[in-house]
Amino acid sequence: MTKNKSDLIDVQKFADHHVITQPNPLRKVLRRVAEEELDDPVARAEKALADLSGEFKQWMVIESERLAAAHAAILKDSFSDTRRDELFRAAHDIKGDAATFGFPSAGAAAESLCRIIEHAPDLANVPSELIAHHINAIQAIVLERTKLDNISMASELSRRLRGVADEYLARVNHDRPEHLEAIMAPSIAPTD
Amino acid sequence: MFRIDFNKLRFLVCDDNPHMRRILRTLLHSFGAREVYESEDGATALEMYTHYVPDIVITDWAMPIFDGLELAQMIRQPESKGNPYAPIIMLTGHSEKRRVTVARDAGVTEFLAKPISAKGLYQRILNVVANPRPFIKTKTYFGPDRRRNTNAAYIGPERRVGGQVEVLQQPSLLDKARSTI
Repeated sequence: MTKNKSDLIDVQKFADHHVITQPNPLRKVLRRVAEEELDDPVARAEKALADLSGEFKQWMVIESERLAAAHAAILKDSFSDTRRDELFRAAHDIKGDAATFGFPSAGAAAESLCRIIEHAPDLANVPSELIAHHINAIQAIVLERTKLDNISMASELSRRLRGVADEYLARVNHDRPEHLEAIMAPSIAPTD
Repeated sequence: MFRIDFNKLRFLVCDDNPHMRRILRTLLHSFGAREVYESEDGATALEMYTHYVPDIVITDWAMPIFDGLELAQMIRQPESKGNPYAPIIMLTGHSEKRRVTVARDAGVTEFLAKPISAKGLYQRILNVVANPRPFIKTKTYFGPDRRRNTNAAYIGPERRVGGQVEVLQQPSLLDKARSTI
């Protein structure tokens, strides 16, 4: 579909830039349909996701175990760039995936952990309990959901962790304005 | 009202997380896509990009060794033998404003913050199919036009010189990232 033929590309040259316009190579995949057309691809996809949702709990268990393993490696051998990156990626994946998998509070706790990893000046100086509490909370939310089915409990746990983490980050970054700005900036993640 | 014939589109999905790849594959197949190629890292994705010539790339940001941002930068090489114009949708857990700006400056076409939704993904794909933006080449940038609205009062250092200000009006990438559609 997307083979570009240079003779079809229009290039307008200006003092310090070129504006390059090519015929839309994907136009052919668009088709006009009547408003009342019953086929709704978004609804179809949402149903497919719902059909898949039986696997989400197990996926979250795997993700939280990966996070715990990354943390255990750090406890055993201290921080290195590789171990720090693995801890961050494990937390970051949970941050991004948990809400889709039905564990939004685990996602919120993971986001708080990501912020610590990203903005603490020296991870080796972060109180070990602060990181451990985040990981324990994520595991508890995932493994004990049936017991913690009072959603507000999981939500409150994540909220308190975030409060403690933010207080710590604000304190240790008081002389690092670029980090302070990033810490205080609101998230752009959609809320629904 | 327009629909996309997904069965005519070829996708390349790049995400190191197998669960997210499964989600994306499920969504794209449900939309009607048949050709969905998957990669778990940026380096493999770049090879697959050259080999399969996908119409649309959907990539995560945080990946080991060679991340989604670097993948976008590698694709957006105007002199490359591959297609430097393919739409790139950055699907990421990063949810900070500055990340949107960095992604935009790497040549990313659309930004979708996780958690993913069928509606959000569909709207991003519809937008890159129906409303492609012209490409801009400067000394330091090659990628989709980053201007999405006219601002006569803008006096920043990167204002382009010359030419008509013909801007395809769209919400800014940041505003779009803040919503699911």
